[in-house]
Amino acid sequence: MTTGSTQETSEQVPATDSDAIRSETPVTGPPAPWTARAMPFVERYALLILFLLLCLFFSVYEPTSGTFASSANWRNILGNEAVIAITALASIIPLTCGQFDLSVGSVVGLSSIVTASAAAEHDLPVAVAIGLGVLSGCLVGLFNGVLVARIGVNALIATLGTATLVAGLISLYTANQVISIGIPESITALGSGTWLGLPRTVFTLAVVAFAVWYVLTQTPYGRYLTSVGVSPGSARLVGLRVDRYVLSSFVLSGGLAGVAGVLLLARAGTANPAVGPGFTLAALSAAFLGATAIKPGTFNVVGTLLGVLFVAVSVNGLVLAGAADWVQPTFNGAALIIAVALSTAIARRRAGR
Amino acid sequence: MPDVVLHASGLSKTFGPTTVLTDASLAVGRGEVHALLGGNGSGKSTLVKLLAGVHRADPGGTISVGGASTPAERWSAEVARQHGLHFVHQDPAVFPALSVAENIAIGHGFVTGRTGRIDRRATRRRTAEVLERFSIPATPDMPVAALRPADRVMVAIARALQDQEDAHDGVLVLDEPTASLPAWEVEVLLTALRRYAEAGQTIVYVSHRLGEVLGLADTVTVLRDGHVVGSRAVSGMTESGLVEMIVGRPLDRVFPEPRTAPPGEVALSVRGLVAGPLRGVDLELHRGEVLGVAGLLGSGRTELLHALFGDLPTTSGELLLDGRPLRVRGPREAMRAGLALVPEDRGAEGLFAGMSVRANLSATVVPSYWRRGRLRHRAERDDARRLVHRYGVKPASDLPPAGTLSGGNQQKVVLGRWLRREPAVLLLDEPTQGVDVNARADIYTHVRAAADRGTAVLLVTSDFEEMAHVADRVVVLREGRVAAELRAPDITADRLTELSYLTAEVPA
Repeated sequence: MTTGSTQETSEQVPATDSDAIRSETPVTGPPAPWTARAMPFVERYALLILFLLLCLFFSVYEPTSGTFASSANWRNILGNEAVIAITALASIIPLTCGQFDLSVGSVVGLSSIVTASAAAEHDLPVAVAIGLGVLSGCLVGLFNGVLVARIGVNALIATLGTATLVAGLISLYTANQVISIGIPESITALGSGTWLGLPRTVFTLAVVAFAVWYVLTQTPYGRYLTSVGVSPGSARLVGLRVDRYVLSSFVLSGGLAGVAGVLLLARAGTANPAVGPGFTLAALSAAFLGATAIKPGTFNVVGTLLGVLFVAVSVNGLVLAGAADWVQPTFNGAALIIAVALSTAIARRRAGR
Repeated sequence: MPDVVLHASGLSKTFGPTTVLTDASLAVGRGEVHALLGGNGSGKSTLVKLLAGVHRADPGGTISVGGASTPAERWSAEVARQHGLHFVHQDPAVFPALSVAENIAIGHGFVTGRTGRIDRRATRRRTAEVLERFSIPATPDMPVAALRPADRVMVAIARALQDQEDAHDGVLVLDEPTASLPAWEVEVLLTALRRYAEAGQTIVYVSHRLGEVLGLADTVTVLRDGHVVGSRAVSGMTESGLVEMIVGRPLDRVFPEPRTAPPGEVALSVRGLVAGPLRGVDLELHRGEVLGVAGLLGSGRTELLHALFGDLPTTSGELLLDGRPLRVRGPREAMRAGLALVPEDRGAEGLFAGMSVRANLSATVVPSYWRRGRLRHRAERDDARRLVHRYGVKPASDLPPAGTLSGGNQQKVVLGRWLRREPAVLLLDEPTQGVDVNARADIYTHVRAAADRGTAVLLVTSDFEEMAHVADRVVVLREGRVAAELRAPDITADRLTELSYLTAEVPA
């Protein structure tokens, strides 16, 4: 019995049945061996340790040691990865709720096109253009959510369809032309340059990461999302409206992917109708890698960021080492498969199966 | 018996320390309809599963079909099929979206052309033959979903028997084929079965419904407490005779004692509740009382609890909670009104297996930890630790994922989640299923304590021994209605079994 905590708890647990009834069965057991106690620690930090080892390797390995550890290289990595990181954070919201969102990449592309077009071609104020970009993401998310939660379409199929549909509409709208002229400087300023020695995109990422962390771990909404993801049947019987949580998770995911799209425009300075879909797999790899770390078996913000960095640093090091073109997709694919297999195994064990 | 086609002897089955079937024997004569009867936990379904090769028998027994005998421990589903035992289970595995022809061809293989392509015409012709042989009113191209429920069962039977050259070979084993059928469909199926039996088909028929057994079977074998009580010819037997065999003592009284004054005021009153299989349930639940709901599988027990909790739409009926009308449109409203449900399917509807014990315990009270823009994790942890301690959850920690706990400990967590809300009405559905003996005692201690504090408890359990010990009063559900009521000194497992089985009121 923990003492000293009774004050705060008395209103939660009614005092009437306090400790008058004790279990008949003893609750002691032999202490677990140290290996068993060390396992959770190893599991938590395996990805971090692997990441640090990788950094160490590329820092001393002859072909990459000159450039890898330079601050310019790191600024480049961090600046570029912010878009993928926000996309990955977008994807963990439906994943927490037990649903895949394969449309995040297309939404990134959509949002960057919408924002660029609104600002450059329709001369709308920057704030409105950005708002439209994010809103377009929310609408795609709403569409996904209605398909999955209301109509009952399998999320993989629904979002794959949406992703393809959105890519098609982008192609129609832009006639496959890159929007590069007339992007206001106030937008590109968000993506270029540094602040306090760090690329500016990192600060946007920090705000988004904090927001996602807050929603997922510090609000009842986040707890309910997890509950629905873990067991929809149990969630229903503790009074949760499962379809609302599923639907809203897609809307949030779409909105955040929209933010990532604005950032992509800011970083690139142009809106390319072809780049969006490529982000989906990178984002999902990071999300699943992240689910093997920090809070194993659970999609979590810190793990996801670590997953993004891990993939980015690996690819960056390989490119610096002069690896051929095929290395990057091969590495991304392998990372995704390993991450999904590992996180599935961990989640399985947690569920006691 | 002149010509025994299926003969099993000395079948035993133990699961770990528990013996569920001891030295059971069964002899089925050629061409007869042989019924298997027994109460919940009598070992009847274990016997069927041994014959089907789903479970492996303990060494020592033998199973012989048509004279060829096999040691029981080497019996398997494959061997059963080779020997001509055909099983149709409770939920016949028909594919509603496929056509009748496809459903039947799945059991036999499609007729294919030389390229391996399905020969539709030949398949259709073959199906038409099978349908005619089994007199099923359907055409090969109809989707099975369009058939009546009884005809779907018949399609499953035809699929199982289609390769049998002659009705005199093989044995058809039907495991509660009428359990999921509405009453008017039952007669359709029974008529068909009688026709097959007249053609010489040997049938082993497992059912809870005594009326069907009397109307269909030639011989009945009864199991009780894992032993075969005996086999008898059905002709000349009555329903009460069968019940006596099932419960093992003479049937003296059938009508329950008259009601005595109820304790405490009425907490929940249910009038004419119609929902799912429920056809007008009336009951009154008093504060501080543990009211048992007895009945057989399919009598609507689980549905009653789900309907009260707003999880099953109700067609009509009225609920009063503390005298005020209560309308629950969903579990959320039911919770607000002070109801709590510990569901039967702990894995899919109770537990959040991948979440910590702490999160599981607080699943019903999350908003109470939401203060000044944050979830108060420390308060949640402290409460969870207190509850883990109070309910004796092992391991004694709030951190492990709930799915890694044993069944009993999982159930304590689910129960603790609801009892912390001090519910006005606690609905318990099979709370001790898959729970070890010690945890069972713990769980009922806490349920009783909650009742003493004024909670009204509605308890569903198939373990009638347990019900007799725990409940103050029991209502027996039969075919969607409250058919009988028992009060504390008169509640015994045997009486509950008797009352659950009787399909017609027998005058005293």
